[in-house]
Amino acid sequence: MIERVYDVFARKHRGDQLAHIGYVDALDDEMARVYAWKTYDEENWFEMCVIRRSNIIPVNRQDGPFSGSKGEGE
Amino acid sequence: MVLSNEDELKQKIQDGYIVESREEMTEGYRKALIVQLTVQADTELMSAPAYWMAARHAPSTNTQVSAHAIIQDELAHANIAYRLLEDIGESKEQLVYGRQPHEFKHPYGFDQPLDNWADLVVANGFFDRAGITLLSDVYQNTSYGPLKRALVKVDMEETFHLRHGEVWMRRLAKAGGEAKEIVQCSVDWMFPMTIEWFGLPDDLKRHSGQLDYKLKGLSNDELRQVWMSSTVPLCEELGLNVPAHFDSETEEYVLDYPFPCEYDTADKRWVFEDGESTWDTVFKRWKGRGPMNEIYVESIQRSRRDVGGWLAEKRQAY
Repeated sequence: MIERVYDVFARKHRGDQLAHIGYVDALDDEMARVYAWKTYDEENWFEMCVIRRSNIIPVNRQDGPFSGSKGEGE
Repeated sequence: MVLSNEDELKQKIQDGYIVESREEMTEGYRKALIVQLTVQADTELMSAPAYWMAARHAPSTNTQVSAHAIIQDELAHANIAYRLLEDIGESKEQLVYGRQPHEFKHPYGFDQPLDNWADLVVANGFFDRAGITLLSDVYQNTSYGPLKRALVKVDMEETFHLRHGEVWMRRLAKAGGEAKEIVQCSVDWMFPMTIEWFGLPDDLKRHSGQLDYKLKGLSNDELRQVWMSSTVPLCEELGLNVPAHFDSETEEYVLDYPFPCEYDTADKRWVFEDGESTWDTVFKRWKGRGPMNEIYVESIQRSRRDVGGWLAEKRQAY
């Protein structure tokens, strides 16, 4: 079962910064949405979105989890 | 930036440096972090089948919901910790689905059966408080940025589990009679179980590097004191007996039983009458794992291969 890593972003209130709050592993985008909403239920988020980690393009750093194709983990 | 020198990294960390990526770690740092995160992840993961089997004893649909909400949280916390491990080069697939039951690193307490509703709520009150004690210390002190951020959610939810445990312990203890007796039974086996969870006393502890790398802040004995400082007064208030008391001269909690001690899994009781055991014996017991270890691990791993196989067949058919 090849699951992709998705990073989860959310903001609590209108006017808040959208912040990285976590990650889920999912087989596809639809499941990633469900997992994110159900997993990160500690707040009543005003907005939440997920992005495939492999689609994040690093700008100034070559290290860390967003630095390459490492998001295609199992 | 690549740091190759252990001492250089330790010094920077002591001066407040926050590590943000695998590339910034020395091998010593990475190894120490892997050990810490594996224990954390395995503990969260193994609490799920333990609580799940105990949730069958919930006395109402609403309590079923709260018990399962806790299980859901624990699985999310496990997922978070395994993801952090994956980001520093470990494989979640291997860790969760590729290991034998005895290879997991959770505490012995989560190899035990939770046999009734009192066992479950005291586990919430004792084990989850041990979790908060350990993880709050990590949150306040860790030099690893991604872990500190992840623990915001974890601490928030563990506090809910603890409250669930305390509310129910209070309700059962206040009811008196059989309700109180059964809570006392749970307390009797789980209090020493949690005390042991914090590990070797400081005077026997071999140097692990976790303090040098600031992966934690407090020592085992300090953490044990923190746990007792809230658990003992709670139990005293509820009229539940615990084998520990506050010594006003030394201003410390003191255990009233031989520590470490051996445990009889068949009778679910500590063999106080046999006197003090040795830590070698305790480590051997931990390594041998407890009665529910294989059942809990099997419940997590059982369908991975089957469903994975179905999906692979489907891919081939296309």
